[in-house]
Amino acid sequence: MNRYSRPYILNVCTVIALTISGGLVSIAGELHVSPSTIALEQPEASQQLIIWGSGSDNRRIDVTRTATLRVEPPHVASVDERGLVRPLANGSATLLISVGELRTSIAISVTRLDNPKKISFRHEIIPILTKSRCNSGGCHGKAEGQNGFKLSIFGFDAQADFDSIVSASRGRRVALASPINSLLIQKATALIPHGGAEALLPDSQRERRLVRWVAEGAHYQSEDIQSQDAPVAEIISIEVEPHEQVLLAAETQQLRVSTVNSLGQRQCVTSECEFESNAASIAHVDARGLIQASSIPGEAAILVRHLGHVTTCRITLPRLGQTIERPIEHNFIDTLAWAKLQVLGIQPSPICDDATFLRRVSLDVIGTLPTVDQAKSFLNDPATNKRQRLIDDLLERNEYADYWTMKWLDILRADALTISPQGAVAMQRWLHRCFAENRAYDDWSSELLTVQGNTSAEGPGSFYKVLNKPDEAARSVSQLLLGVRIECAQCHHHPSERWSQSDYVALAGFFTGLSLKKLPNGEQALISRGGKDLPHPRSGELVPASVLGGKAADFSNVTDRRQVFAAWLTEKQNPFFAKAIANRMWAHYFGRGLIEPIDDIRETNPATNPALLTALANHMRDLDYDLKAFTRSLLNSRVYQSSSRTLPSNADDEQNFSHYLQKPLKAEVLLDAINQSADVVEDFNGWPTGYRAIQVWDNHMPSYFFRIFGRPVRATVCECERSDEPSIAQALHLLNAPELFQKLSHRHGRSRRLSNSNLAPTEVIDELYLSTLSRMPNSAERDLMLHAFTELDRRAATEDVLWSLMNSKEFLFNH
Amino acid sequence: MLKLSLGSPSQNCRGISRRHALRLGSCGLIGGMTLPRLIELQAKAAGPKGPKAKSCIFLFLEGGPPHQDMWDPKPDAPAEIRGPFQAIRTNVPGTFVTDQLPLCATMADKYTILRNHGHNDNGHSTGYHYVMTGRRASFADGDNPIPNNEFYPSFGSAVSRSLGAQGSLPPYINLPHPMQGGGPGFYGAEHAPFVIEADPSQPDFDVKDLQPPMGLSAARLGLRKRLLAGLDTLERQHQQATGQAMTTYYEKAYQLVASQAARRAFDIHSEPEKVRDAYGRTQLGQCALLARRLVEAGCRFVGVDAPGWDVHFNCFPSLKTDLIPYADQAFSALVTDLDQRGLLDETLVIMMGEMGRTPRINAQAGRDHWSMAQTIVFAGGGTIPGQVIGATDKHASATIGAPVGVNDLLRTISVLMGIDPDRSYLSPLGRPVPIVDGGQVIPGLI
Repeated sequence: MNRYSRPYILNVCTVIALTISGGLVSIAGELHVSPSTIALEQPEASQQLIIWGSGSDNRRIDVTRTATLRVEPPHVASVDERGLVRPLANGSATLLISVGELRTSIAISVTRLDNPKKISFRHEIIPILTKSRCNSGGCHGKAEGQNGFKLSIFGFDAQADFDSIVSASRGRRVALASPINSLLIQKATALIPHGGAEALLPDSQRERRLVRWVAEGAHYQSEDIQSQDAPVAEIISIEVEPHEQVLLAAETQQLRVSTVNSLGQRQCVTSECEFESNAASIAHVDARGLIQASSIPGEAAILVRHLGHVTTCRITLPRLGQTIERPIEHNFIDTLAWAKLQVLGIQPSPICDDATFLRRVSLDVIGTLPTVDQAKSFLNDPATNKRQRLIDDLLERNEYADYWTMKWLDILRADALTISPQGAVAMQRWLHRCFAENRAYDDWSSELLTVQGNTSAEGPGSFYKVLNKPDEAARSVSQLLLGVRIECAQCHHHPSERWSQSDYVALAGFFTGLSLKKLPNGEQALISRGGKDLPHPRSGELVPASVLGGKAADFSNVTDRRQVFAAWLTEKQNPFFAKAIANRMWAHYFGRGLIEPIDDIRETNPATNPALLTALANHMRDLDYDLKAFTRSLLNSRVYQSSSRTLPSNADDEQNFSHYLQKPLKAEVLLDAINQSADVVEDFNGWPTGYRAIQVWDNHMPSYFFRIFGRPVRATVCECERSDEPSIAQALHLLNAPELFQKLSHRHGRSRRLSNSNLAPTEVIDELYLSTLSRMPNSAERDLMLHAFTELDRRAATEDVLWSLMNSKEFLFNH
Repeated sequence: MLKLSLGSPSQNCRGISRRHALRLGSCGLIGGMTLPRLIELQAKAAGPKGPKAKSCIFLFLEGGPPHQDMWDPKPDAPAEIRGPFQAIRTNVPGTFVTDQLPLCATMADKYTILRNHGHNDNGHSTGYHYVMTGRRASFADGDNPIPNNEFYPSFGSAVSRSLGAQGSLPPYINLPHPMQGGGPGFYGAEHAPFVIEADPSQPDFDVKDLQPPMGLSAARLGLRKRLLAGLDTLERQHQQATGQAMTTYYEKAYQLVASQAARRAFDIHSEPEKVRDAYGRTQLGQCALLARRLVEAGCRFVGVDAPGWDVHFNCFPSLKTDLIPYADQAFSALVTDLDQRGLLDETLVIMMGEMGRTPRINAQAGRDHWSMAQTIVFAGGGTIPGQVIGATDKHASATIGAPVGVNDLLRTISVLMGIDPDRSYLSPLGRPVPIVDGGQVIPGLI
């Protein structure tokens, strides 16, 4: 990309200071202007300028809005305070630019205002409908339209929109004989009553473009007309300038967006495209592409969208004046994480203590609290490599397979109502074996994809009982294994990605030919026969099956189309597969994905640390998808072992892993933790005694506790389905529930045993701390808890100390 | 495990008691605590005068109440359509209801009968989903989970999110069990209904987990509170935002536990016997009474689920002895009581089900599902009383003219409550989802 090409430089080597958004920033040296010349050929055309200089820190500094701008002669073009140039009359002019002592100028040429190129509905009217939000989902873009006028959402179906405007309702929306009186324009400018109020300003550039389009005959595209102009060249991409930018608090930055057509020509569409920030609290962007940085350090991606094309500008807001002390590096993860924090000026938190690490890693790896004995022996172990050994031990525990099976049952949608209890058990056993034997992830993913046979036999066959339509299978598999959400493209072009309805249908083509056959014993078998390409939902033409971003698939020599998909999925070059699982694993352990949401990987949703994600994906490949080995690398990193306590410089940081992010315990884990701390065994409705909550595969087993603590319903492949939102029902339950009271006062429970023992109150308190928080109390805590023993009888005191620990945030969260 | 007495279970047409399923899977999600956006929204939606309805009581006759046997009598239709009930006059000249609604007939000037509601979803759980969310269900009708609205939020959750809580009570409450389409959808647990998992008509009625376990002495309660406060102080300095949110909920929970207002509101036993009798000592009657107490204490949206209306077989005896009299008594007592307390203007009362019932009585002397026509009754909250809006044809089988749809209903409630129906919230995928999906305000009602 040729950004900042050929800047015109007049004055060099001058240093001046100017006020930008209230702060004093110096720029030195050259003044750069982009673009280098301006050519305007349509009355409604506009050109955004960006004027910048180099700051003392070698940063590009946008001075467009502080520059003095003047067009000479002034009747040829105008320029507004934001640097947007518009034509006024045919002719040549010079734009004189000065910033303090620095001066420069560029040439402006305005031509063809009297005989402009005809307007293309597809390229020039659709953006108006989008920018004015006429075709948004809340308005005419919704499926049934609004008050009889329907447009395609975000204008993805230009032909349908054209018909809707020009032909539908007997053509009443355009008046060729009197363009300004077209219903379309009268409504849009609210000259006659319009539910959407004034979507277009009268006499604005957009309104004038609409009027001219009607006056020219309201054609679909300009080659329809006899014209001296060449056919409209296809737009192949859009470019944004700058592509990335470091801003300081409260600074602003103008963006400039151009389309690039197949002939390589660029046209400014800054005022016609859409902008959106993925982190508006860090950097906000307005409708004209002006970015306003906040005072919160971090990063934001500004999404730019125009006619189905997307691109992004990455904004980084470092924290200034920080000297970062890089903690030691245990492995490559630390190197890359610290590098990022250094750029941002964020200090990583210190390493957590042993007790915190023990509780954290146990809850994260096996979904289970350490026992009192485990806690004691770990805390007293003098070995320097004890954390590493603990990680190895945990990965070999049975609970590891239990816990990860539960997690995958959720996202494989093992809903016992939908896939039958037999199907859920079959899936549960299969997953359990995969995790217990540590089968390679690419291996069992392939099996999941290409499974055939009895859905009640151990295996993942019942996955396809839920995904019983090709397109549903395609979008679920895509989200689950590729981390790509394509369901938007079912109905319309993905609003922030390149995926179109064709891509969606092409992917669905892999999942055709599947059927469930009834077996003599009443069970079902999944069989795959042949398969076929599917028709495009609008054109009806068959779309050859192809992988995302790939060519038509070759199905010679296979009977099951899914095998071709599986082969592509697990090949080394697959751009999504390793990244998706690396990000999913990262999110599990670190509380947040490098890409978030974790299954929404796309160019316009960049990772917070792209280098780290790339390294993790490569590491996953290098390990041949050995999930335990990968987990070991994550957990042995110093980043994972950071304290959850924040420092002044990292308290606001939510996305760069400067400290461990607290996580509420999952419903099942919390229930097991309560039972283990109280040392009671819970009988689950219909289950043999001794089963723990994380082992219960039946997601419909009635449980008030699971409901209020957010057990997922397994209706989607999204991990986001598990709600970890706190609620008052949760608080009320933990405070008052008779069920909890019974556990605390159970005659075989921990409290009763301790109160009947000869232990001193402080020893009782110590054990209660170890059983709930896996640590010893400090002296302030011990003093607090001793009040119970001075005020109440020993039994009540023991119960109430345990009760208060279970209601502490330290217990309810993994920290 | 929870096993609550929730009155007689209803057998629906699938032969499975869905109430039974509810009893097993009893859910008690909780209303949200978002800070109110009250002023802004009220101003935006209702203009300078402000909205009328501060709260809404939604009596849901689950299973499908027979409109022609209640509010839309067809005395001139053949017997197999008309049924055994007679049309009687109300105190509004020209307005007739059936003789099974004698109490409501004496006060028809206080409410409005809308006879032209209809949609075309003939399923129980799907219809419930549609009415509560304004969105078509994407699942097949049947034994769906509760709540069944996994994506789209119920209207009560939208009220919770838009208006927030006033006072210590949660803004959105379900009784006496969760409404099947009443979940928060993608709004999340924060906007789930607080469910009173108990039947207020029972002598031992109490709200789950609202009070500490029996037998804890005042000394222990005091100590527990001090221990927790002490721990909180010790750990607060290093809590992250998630932990702080939980602390907020603990504070709300403590407020609710400690709130005299909440305790009073839930304490239906303190209501004079005469008043309790007036509502009827039935589950529906006492839920209606409790609903009044809850809106008095600041709850915004109370959804009462009244099951048992799926009358496929030999329906007239049960309609005559159990179902319609209870509804007649509960609705008339609620509206009269609110009116006498001066609360009717600011409390919107709506009674309806997920569908009406077939015009023709079937071979088993029952009526089947009929979503083409249903009657909705409205009172208070800024609605114009004493009217009949819309009509059905001579057999009560189709609305005359286009039916008033679910989204027309939800849009109307929204406007009455001062909620901008077109306000969107972003789904987890970032798609803006408006509170109400289209529709128009019901003409003539406001």
